[in-house]
Amino acid sequence: MEDVTTLTKIQLDALREVGNIGSGNAASALAQFLNRKIDMAVPTATILDFKDIPTILGGPSTLVMGIFLKVLGEISGRFLLLIPAQTSIKLLRTLIPGCEIDDPLNMGEMESSCMREVGNILAGAFLNALSALTQTPMLNSLPSMTYDMAGAMIDNVIAEMTAVSDKVLMIETSFIESEEDLKIHIFLLPEPKSLMLLLHKIGVN
Amino acid sequence: MSVVIPVGMGELKVARSPETLVVYGIGSCIIVSLYDTKSKVGGIAHIMLPDSSGIAKERLNPNKFADTAIPALYDAIKGESGVFKANLHAKIIGGSEMFPPTEDYENNIGRDNTAAVKIALKKMGFPLIAEDTGGKRGRSIEFVLESGLIMLSILGEEPREL
Repeated sequence: MEDVTTLTKIQLDALREVGNIGSGNAASALAQFLNRKIDMAVPTATILDFKDIPTILGGPSTLVMGIFLKVLGEISGRFLLLIPAQTSIKLLRTLIPGCEIDDPLNMGEMESSCMREVGNILAGAFLNALSALTQTPMLNSLPSMTYDMAGAMIDNVIAEMTAVSDKVLMIETSFIESEEDLKIHIFLLPEPKSLMLLLHKIGVN
Repeated sequence: MSVVIPVGMGELKVARSPETLVVYGIGSCIIVSLYDTKSKVGGIAHIMLPDSSGIAKERLNPNKFADTAIPALYDAIKGESGVFKANLHAKIIGGSEMFPPTEDYENNIGRDNTAAVKIALKKMGFPLIAEDTGGKRGRSIEFVLESGLIMLSILGEEPREL
């Protein structure tokens, strides 16, 4: 399948459930990691015009922390975590004893490495759940991280997926830490060519 | 008051003085501007990918690809009054790699886009008079058609003119 616009409502519902299972596991991993209660928003699976993606992320010039990984295996895709500046500061201060960082622009090697590890753990937990669900091994590439404009990150992530179609399938969820407004957005973009296999593996054709 | 016109991914826009074309959050995409110094007409193509070969014609959005967007930009600009091919020059901005590959077999879209627009510009015979490409940071630009100057902003750096 190269054109995601032909997905039916049932197929989209199934993909939303994939998002639910993956993010549920990632949320528990994050809760354990931070030793806090984490709430999860109901995931969505939507077909979007790529032109609208920067707006969904808060506008093309909104500054965010982005952690990107490729999903490798028979079912492949891209995994992007977007973390607002305030949340990344809170995460760093929680995870690194004595950390007093106040602007992600001032991150050093220790902080960058810590954020990449957050990405690794969340992506790993998400993909493990998916792997168990589909009985298909899934691996992730090493995480790559940057703090910059959301619009600029999206270019890199979706460019190759939009060669044929202007539409992109995006499974999205966010985590909210109950008291402190800790927000993390997870985007999974399955490669169009592995979508059929993914749907087949979860019993939806 | 000057009118500000945003140019999104895969879009192509033409404007003239006193208008300003703006692009926010350029990553691996590459911006090609053409400007006619005499008539103060200019245009921007916000290109996403290097090469359209292999894409079926009826599905092709020519504005997305370097090889097809530059001819399309020229087609859009040449109809404007006062524009002559000999007065047009080009600038290119973007082509960064926001998430540097962690595995060496991965391709670098930003670099491929930059190389592809240079070839396409050469083919069309447009002189490339300025460029700010590559690196790992996002860029935003304002293309002021009154002066033909492009104001470039990069996070953590002083804005500069191209």
